[in-house]
Amino acid sequence: MADGSAGVTGEDGGDGFKDPLRMPSYDEDEDEEVDIVNFSRSPGGESAASTNALAGSFKIEAADVDTKDLFVTVDNREKHAGSFEVYITYRVTTKTTRGCFDNCEFAVRRRFQDFVWLRQKLTDDHPTHFIPPLPEKTNMRLSRFSNEFLDMREKALNSFLNRIAEHPTLSFNENFQIFLTAKELETHRRYAKGLVSRVGSSVKTTAESYRLKNRSPEFTTMADYVDQFGQKIGSVDRISQRIVKEQSEYHTEIAAFAPSFELWSDSETDVADILHSIAMCLEKCANFTRLENVVQQDDFGSVIKEYVLYADAMKNVLKKRDSIQMEYEQCLDELNRKKNEREHVKITDQNYSFAAFMGKDPTDVKQDKSNRLDTQITKLQKQLEVLNDRTEVANADLKADMDRWNKTKRKDIKELFTSWAEGRMKYYDLCLSSWEDVIKTLQTKKQDEDQLDSPDSNEPASETSDPEILEYPTQDT
Amino acid sequence: MAESVESPEYNPAIIADSAAVPVTSDVDELSKIAAKIRQARPPRPCVQLTIQDGTLLEAMEINVSEQEKRTTQTAMGMKDVYTVYYVETRVKDGTSKPLGEEATSLWRRYSEFELLRNYLLVTYSHVVIPPLPEKRATIMWQQLSTVDNFDSEFIERRRTGLEGFLRRVANHHKLCQDKIFHGFLQDENGWKSSVNASGFQAKMTILPGSVNVNKQDSRLKSLNAAFRLKKPDKRFEDLKNYCTNLQNNITALLKLRAFFISYKDYIDDFMSEEELIADQLKEYASFADAVRSVCRKQEMLQYEVERAEENLAAKTQLRDQLQGTVPTKAFSWRGLSSKVFGPETDQVKEMKLRQVKDQIQEAEEQVTRTQKEAAEFVEEALKEIERFKKTKTADLKEIFINFSVLQIKIAKKGIATWMSTKECFEKM
Repeated sequence: MADGSAGVTGEDGGDGFKDPLRMPSYDEDEDEEVDIVNFSRSPGGESAASTNALAGSFKIEAADVDTKDLFVTVDNREKHAGSFEVYITYRVTTKTTRGCFDNCEFAVRRRFQDFVWLRQKLTDDHPTHFIPPLPEKTNMRLSRFSNEFLDMREKALNSFLNRIAEHPTLSFNENFQIFLTAKELETHRRYAKGLVSRVGSSVKTTAESYRLKNRSPEFTTMADYVDQFGQKIGSVDRISQRIVKEQSEYHTEIAAFAPSFELWSDSETDVADILHSIAMCLEKCANFTRLENVVQQDDFGSVIKEYVLYADAMKNVLKKRDSIQMEYEQCLDELNRKKNEREHVKITDQNYSFAAFMGKDPTDVKQDKSNRLDTQITKLQKQLEVLNDRTEVANADLKADMDRWNKTKRKDIKELFTSWAEGRMKYYDLCLSSWEDVIKTLQTKKQDEDQLDSPDSNEPASETSDPEILEYPTQDT
Repeated sequence: MAESVESPEYNPAIIADSAAVPVTSDVDELSKIAAKIRQARPPRPCVQLTIQDGTLLEAMEINVSEQEKRTTQTAMGMKDVYTVYYVETRVKDGTSKPLGEEATSLWRRYSEFELLRNYLLVTYSHVVIPPLPEKRATIMWQQLSTVDNFDSEFIERRRTGLEGFLRRVANHHKLCQDKIFHGFLQDENGWKSSVNASGFQAKMTILPGSVNVNKQDSRLKSLNAAFRLKKPDKRFEDLKNYCTNLQNNITALLKLRAFFISYKDYIDDFMSEEELIADQLKEYASFADAVRSVCRKQEMLQYEVERAEENLAAKTQLRDQLQGTVPTKAFSWRGLSSKVFGPETDQVKEMKLRQVKDQIQEAEEQVTRTQKEAAEFVEEALKEIERFKKTKTADLKEIFINFSVLQIKIAKKGIATWMSTKECFEKM
């Protein structure tokens, strides 16, 4: 539970800054649905106009299917036996109308390492953009070679490439294009390996971002939000896994129940049919439970997992941005210091300086120092400009990305939870029909028996129970 | 949680008119008055019995509606804590008063129910006597590590079981006419002595184990289970086997269920309904015992017949030997004794012959008597078995329907819950 952060209560900050986030306190034991609604609130999308102005050239329209000009699919995995290893490749299909591509269609085979390479390249090239996460290398539960694991990986890789393809900046990245089109990626990988990206080396992801003097509140909010989101989506992940476990237990129990009824029906005559149909029904329900559980685990679970990893990646990017800003601020500090020194040199005489002591003329010393400082200051000023630009760019990138990410996230999560609820409804519906079938068996049997019974039998009114059967409550009491 | 007990609904008009109510400090009197003005209670979930014509249940409602903890001092100064149950009856509108009163009510404890049942077992040995609910909870949810006989839910379920027992007895054409049964419902203080006065306990020995049998049977109980009947009646053999199967199947099912964890969570709000269904199944596992005791009674009687027949055959053979119509065996005590003591005189022989002839007559009468008893018993018992079978089928079907309906309710609730959840998501 995230307490004490800016977003918890949703009240105004002291300066009237209305926190668009309202992160409710989260109790893991309660129904999770209640709080998910508030996930969709996000920073950046609804805050001050200044953001939008800055975002300017990078502002993205909501991903319209009509304007989409790059379609990527990952499927058709195959096993390959290389000289020393067995590995899996996936077919990456691209369809595009973009001019920067030589062709309209491409189909290449890529293995997981290639995706890892791509992501690294993108991170290096665009340190201030959110790069989508890759699926995990290993899974605690599944073997790396199991079909279930590979299916999940394939879907995740598909999602990975699609998110990149929809990104206005990342999708034009050169390495991305190479990844999609080159027949052989090996050569490019080897070539690129030795180079150290100039941007990457100078960006120090330090933990010192808290020392930033003027981080604008929106980035604080952003960082807090991503933090909280990460925590909450992590909770959802854990709860989802717990659900899977309990459902699996339930499946086992019901599946064990069925044979008891079947066994009993062997020694009965009149009620054998009913017992048998109950046993069948229980088996059916057990199966529905199992299938629903697979969906819970794979479909639902994988999207949640993706967002867990996404949140982690985003945190790192935000830290990088902080570093960039800090570099700028350090440069600024340095510059100011040098300026002050120069002022100081101007007004003091150098009679007692070290150089004068060594025999130099104090005025000369003064001049030397002044000149030296001037050069330094000029250099610093140039550097400052560069760093300022970089900071501005980083900020703009991030704001835009955050905006986009929020929209996509809202759509994804809404879809995910809605289809999850639909799946559950379907599950209960199936169970309902199965049990209704059992009752139908009982009813038809009763009718048969009533017709066979003599009118004088002291078994009156099977009709007495029928209305009760047909009228079971539509609302729970 | 035990549901809150419904308080009796009093006709306000009668209360207002205090002059109509005689002032008395006798609690019995007061409760009688209360019973008179009490109105019909709404039905609580319980086994639906098909009411048989001409039985007590046709004319009356029987309820075990409340329970209370009592503490009394025993002779040695120790405290005896037990639960009592409030048994009340009410005549249905438009019927005659079979017990002579509009309504009755009194408190009974579990041991008194047991006493009643034992009396019925002995007196109507050919009838399948309905079982009582368990004295102590046996098959329980795994998570409950200790048995608390005073746990309110357990007592609530026991109360429902006792009510079912009384209703089933009242629903039986013979049992419902029994005076001791009537006394149980009406006569709070004098009942115990009248039961004991009936002398049924003389015919009964309480044996370790659940079933109480006749005293004569105790000797036989110690014999091999096969009873060494020469010609066991197949019908009762088959019935016994069926009962064993029924009991084993139901018990196995309930034991399995007791270990379910996620199943329990799945049932959730509907737990008390589900427990009720499980109790109803358990009742039938106990019914199996009751049927088996009828079978055992038949075996006893048949054993008596065979013994009587053997006795007759032995005596007949002895007569024939004495008369010389049958050559004596190579070795016989008579041969030996005649060698040692000298041959018997004719006088002695005559006396012996007469003795044997008398014995034969007795033996013949014995054979006739036991055969008659056995045959009558078989006739009655088979009728009762048929009746039981029909009831069993109807009851089991109802249990299964209830179980299915419960599952449907749960599924419907699930659908409703997720429907509203989905609406919530769609608003995101």
